[in-house]
Amino acid sequence: MLDSPETPLKALIRNRRPGHSLDAPFYVSPEIFAADMELIFGRHWIYVGVEPDVPEPGDAMTVDIGRYSVIVVRDDDMGIQAFHNVCRHRGARILHDEKTTVGNIVCRYHAWTYDLSGALIHAEHMGADFDRTCHGLKRVHVRSLQGLIFLCLAEEPPEDFDEMAREMGPYIAPHDIANTKIAFESDIIEQGNWKLAMENNRECYHCAGNHPELTVPLFAYGFGFAPDEMDEQDRAQAERYACLVRDSHADWEGSGLPSREIERLDSRITGFRTERLPLDGAGEAHTLDTKRASRKLLGQFTRANHGALSFWTQPNSWHHFMSDHIVTFCVMPVDAGTTRVRTKWLVHKDAVEGVDYDLANLTEVWSATNAQDSALVGYAQQGARSPAYEPGRYSPHTEFLVEKFCRWYVGRMAAHLGR
Amino acid sequence: MADGNGALLQDPVARLLEGGPVWNGESDDILVCRAVRDETHDVKTFLLAPRLQHRFAYRPGQFLTFEFDIDGEAIHRCYTISSAPTRPNLVSITVKRVPGGPVSNWLHDHLRPGATVKAIGPMGEFSCLNHPAEKYLFLSGGSGITPLMSMARTFHDLAEPRDIVFVHAARSPADIIFRSELETMARQSKSFHFAALCEADSGSEAWGGYRGRLTLPMLHLMANDWLTREIFVCGPAPFMAAVRAMLADAGFDMTRHHEESFDFAKLSGAEQEAVREAEAVMPVGKVYRVEFSKTRRVIDCPEGVPVLEAARRAGVRLPSSCTKGLCGTCKSKLVSGTVELKHQGGIRQREIDAGMTLLCCARPTSDLVVER
Repeated sequence: MLDSPETPLKALIRNRRPGHSLDAPFYVSPEIFAADMELIFGRHWIYVGVEPDVPEPGDAMTVDIGRYSVIVVRDDDMGIQAFHNVCRHRGARILHDEKTTVGNIVCRYHAWTYDLSGALIHAEHMGADFDRTCHGLKRVHVRSLQGLIFLCLAEEPPEDFDEMAREMGPYIAPHDIANTKIAFESDIIEQGNWKLAMENNRECYHCAGNHPELTVPLFAYGFGFAPDEMDEQDRAQAERYACLVRDSHADWEGSGLPSREIERLDSRITGFRTERLPLDGAGEAHTLDTKRASRKLLGQFTRANHGALSFWTQPNSWHHFMSDHIVTFCVMPVDAGTTRVRTKWLVHKDAVEGVDYDLANLTEVWSATNAQDSALVGYAQQGARSPAYEPGRYSPHTEFLVEKFCRWYVGRMAAHLGR
Repeated sequence: MADGNGALLQDPVARLLEGGPVWNGESDDILVCRAVRDETHDVKTFLLAPRLQHRFAYRPGQFLTFEFDIDGEAIHRCYTISSAPTRPNLVSITVKRVPGGPVSNWLHDHLRPGATVKAIGPMGEFSCLNHPAEKYLFLSGGSGITPLMSMARTFHDLAEPRDIVFVHAARSPADIIFRSELETMARQSKSFHFAALCEADSGSEAWGGYRGRLTLPMLHLMANDWLTREIFVCGPAPFMAAVRAMLADAGFDMTRHHEESFDFAKLSGAEQEAVREAEAVMPVGKVYRVEFSKTRRVIDCPEGVPVLEAARRAGVRLPSSCTKGLCGTCKSKLVSGTVELKHQGGIRQREIDAGMTLLCCARPTSDLVVER
């Protein structure tokens, strides 16, 4: 496959055809997967979870990013800290559960004990010349964007996180993640490369034919269409949607709710896009009746018809923020042909299951949509494995955001590989 | 009666019985170890003799100051004479092995018959002979029994019919020093009464006698006329303090209360620590019952002692590491009961609220059931 002696990955990157899907090795090659883990997941801000994952001091979660395991812990000052999950004694993994509560961080092997700042505070039998101060846990860069937790494994993380936080903060803040709880969490293992999972998310070309539930509240028009191919009815719908966006944005922005699109998908190292999208029907939430799923609204909201704020980050997340609940998605590569998609549904922390919200109703649309997307990503991976596969053209009307994802990806790879 | 030939066959012991000048540590400070005897599982008596034909003269309750050569370092330590001056050929000291105590461990491990030690003395004012009385109450705790034993042995050897109530507080029946000798003295002498109290059963013996802390009602049972007795107290500092407070509260005339105290400040840091450690194991307050539900073991835990410490003493091994409340290795579920917990971040309030505790720094304030 990679039979050229001169850095075949560089050649593949350089020869990538704009506007087309990637060459097959990008989806199937273990070597490129390893490069992805090192250059993309090892050097960028990776979305891993939400502050309600670690709501109280001592709450810890472990996050696997490729071969890395990271401890994310809430400290006694309510700050978020992150450390490599590797004991400084002989390197044993320290925490083993995805979620746990600790007093201090203790390695069970020989009871080396670290406080929540990572400092080694107890290590028996190490002798008088042993300097504990040199044996703290190794830190991992961690940032919270209004409650969304991002990690960066690099020594020097990309410097533009703050720019994203400055632009995105006002959009996310009204949804008050700090005062939510995780009502439900699901892991789905998709049989496809992580980039296919992301590409699938970055378009709604496939929505009409594959997502009967999602397309009840969601207008596929929000992600583009080819106007000259539409019939009378479609054009009227698109027209209606355009008016709805204009009116809604005016309404929402007037009430202090940032809504207009910001698109930095391939113009930033820490690429992102956002827009508050109107929803169909009652316009309240991603539910089958398009109404709020939870009676307890988030933050200061007094009404629920704020549509759904869409937020994407490169390389691995997307999110929908509504007035009553939030659905957040974290994509984590497993190997070249396998990807874990972790979905969390957040509701107000005081909302009571069965009283304020019905769990089935809350999770129905995205559970169905995830299953459908998982099948589609699997098909794409199967096709990419065939010798008959060749990069195919993206629709300029409905897949321009997929193109932006690929452009970001090859750009970041090129930047780290050197052209 | 001896003829000239008999003199050649004379047992050297005969000469010892002829007596001699009084031993004086100022002129010859070398004593020879003649024997080592086991008193309990962690207490030994060392019998010491002068190098020359000397005999010892002292008041029961006095002590010798020893200089031990331990790893090339001269360490000084006072030990009360546990033997009686009525048997002047030897002196004995009776030493409890203290975990981490450099001197007591060295004595137990290295002082063998034939070895020599340096000593001066005897010294000290703590003696019943300095406070003549018809009736005595001796209150002893742990290895603090030695001066009172010397006094009791003296009266017993002399068949002196003083009315003595001898009380000894121990951790368990296996820790009662001189137990059979005290029982024998009590059997042989109508005027000598012996009462022991223990804080826990020992592995081989369930204790049916007085339990836990010495209280006034207990004292009334042991000696209902205790208020009329001259009282001598020796034991760990907390034991002596508790007794002092108890007697004062009961209106006892404290001019008739005497206690042995030695100058703690003169000890090295390690020695002080060893002494504190030794004292920590004495019953000076309430004793609580701690049951481990999984192993179905039951131990006694004195007030103020962490559960882990009490368990260790009772031979119950539990997971632990730092013993400082940092690491949480000993985190366990408290099925019932209450504890005072002073930790250093090894446990969260939420965990405490959910019934968890750290055994290394949980001191019982009631009987406990622990899921272990």
